[in-house]
Amino acid sequence: MREQRRKDAVWRFLTYAFVVTMVVVMMVPLYWMLVAATLPQEQFLQFPPRLIPGTAFLDNFAALQERLDFVRTIRNSVLIAVVYTLLSLVLCSMAGFAFAKYEFKYKEPIFYTILATLVLPIQLLVIPLFLLMAQLDWTNTFRAIILPWAANPIGIFLMRQNMKSIPDALLESARMDGATEFQIFYRIALPTMRSSLAALAIILFLFQWDLFLYPLVILESADMYTIPIGLAQLTGFQRIYYDQIMVAATLAIVPMVVLFLVLQKQFVSGILAGSLKE
Amino acid sequence: MATSDETDDRVGETYRRRAGARVRNATRQVKRAARPVWDRVRFARQDVTAATPTLPRVAYLFIAPFFILFGLFLAFPVFYTVYLSFFEYQGVGEGSLFWVDLGPLYVEIPQIAQLSFIGLGNYARLLGNDLFWQSMFNTSYILAIQVPLMIGLALALALALNASFMRLKGVFRTAIALPVSANLVAYSTVFLLLFNEQLGFLNYVLAGVGVGPVPWLTDAFWARNTIIAAVTWRWTGYNMIILLAGLQTIPQQLYEAAEIDGASRWEKFRYVTLPQLKPVLLFVVVLSTIGTFKLFAEPYVITGGGPTNSTITIVQYIYRQAFVNFNLGYASALTVVFVAIVSVFSIVQIKIGGED
Repeated sequence: MREQRRKDAVWRFLTYAFVVTMVVVMMVPLYWMLVAATLPQEQFLQFPPRLIPGTAFLDNFAALQERLDFVRTIRNSVLIAVVYTLLSLVLCSMAGFAFAKYEFKYKEPIFYTILATLVLPIQLLVIPLFLLMAQLDWTNTFRAIILPWAANPIGIFLMRQNMKSIPDALLESARMDGATEFQIFYRIALPTMRSSLAALAIILFLFQWDLFLYPLVILESADMYTIPIGLAQLTGFQRIYYDQIMVAATLAIVPMVVLFLVLQKQFVSGILAGSLKE
Repeated sequence: MATSDETDDRVGETYRRRAGARVRNATRQVKRAARPVWDRVRFARQDVTAATPTLPRVAYLFIAPFFILFGLFLAFPVFYTVYLSFFEYQGVGEGSLFWVDLGPLYVEIPQIAQLSFIGLGNYARLLGNDLFWQSMFNTSYILAIQVPLMIGLALALALALNASFMRLKGVFRTAIALPVSANLVAYSTVFLLLFNEQLGFLNYVLAGVGVGPVPWLTDAFWARNTIIAAVTWRWTGYNMIILLAGLQTIPQQLYEAAEIDGASRWEKFRYVTLPQLKPVLLFVVVLSTIGTFKLFAEPYVITGGGPTNSTITIVQYIYRQAFVNFNLGYASALTVVFVAIVSVFSIVQIKIGGED
């Protein structure tokens, strides 16, 4: 008995040690980023490295702002991601509703065609899309970034899976009361999908927020840059100003952290809904 | 008398009705004046709903917006990539591919690119290209180590945070998942600094215990491992969150039953947790494999594909061919091969994971 208890205590200690170690590993790069953002470049690039944050954050920010209007860059990223997320939510929930709750010709083949593109690493449509956008004269525009993946296969898949759980009787009784199909969709179906929509919103936002290769090809002028492109440009100069880059990196994290903390629960439930209800 | 009374009544009735109508009209107008935009929207909406088709045709209206964008920006590019892979790209298209002129109706489909047909030439070229095989090897190497490492860590963390004795679960979970919110390029830049040979924090710590300095970014072997470390750092927490949620759906009774049978910790994991967690685990493995296959931003920022192409990934090679050298046809052939490999990989994983 005592033997068992000692074993349990050792096990607990090891578990905690593992978790705490991992937390430290996860935090060190973020902390290091903060330190770099708050020190002047000369002080930061010293050996041994400085480990305590300084007070030069605003100076570094001003210097950064002088070289690349990073406030505008963040604004561009947020604008693109928000518009994209909203548009995609509308498209995916409407189509998902149709696939979950209506019977129509060629329903299954259409749906599986869409689903097949889930396996495609869609970043690699960059070449034909680039040619298409060049032809449409859409290079260096936001709509060229927003529209292509608004019809998101992950989105339609998730919405269809979740909307299947809406009882048909509920829709039928609304139909009896004279509701039109669109009213049924946005008055009855959508309100029950709140957590799935939130989950999908995070997935879509993160997807757009992370897009790198495609905007790199499409966006040309500095006033159109998104955060990843702006940061990549900063690392591409002859002399690399790490202090400014780290300020930019720190600022770039803020919107995602806020979104993640606010919607953490929906995030989990939504992702699970996608994986379990096959 | 009676008639006149009736007439009076009727007149009175009509009058009252008119008055009532006038009052109602007036109030309606007041209300409408107060909320003109809202009302106009409502009337417009009523018109629209009256005009929309009913079941079953309405389903096509629901999928139409999705499908138009899907067709134009996803389906078309997929076919066009395959098409392009049989051609050599010679420049942006000029003039039109074909046109229809019917007097008032004039439709012109522009030529997207100037191409010359070379059959399977692009495919032959990639098979004989050293850099293609190098990028295949690099990607496979990173994949073979990174995915098992990350899933292992994520599973261990999820199990630890799911343990009944664990305190501060929420804090730990958030802290470990925080790297997901770091921007792709931002965190890559941070790693570029962390792993810097002379000034980096990592070599500083290692020097403290008498190791190093390790050439993290300038040696082929270490550079690959740096990329692995970076990707693992960012995505472990994300996968842990999914696995943790999966663990929480396993019914507690299963563990109680196993305990009554005297199952050890390992046996409980092997015979209860793993089988129950299988669908979620499969989901995570497939998504991570696809994700690591697509690796681009990390090597692009951290190592630039170097030293001497030892960390160049397939996607990066495609990028170089397409947008640095403008070999769009060849790059399309690379893309087709790459997508085929990823698809086969995913299908095999699902097949293996799905059979019971």
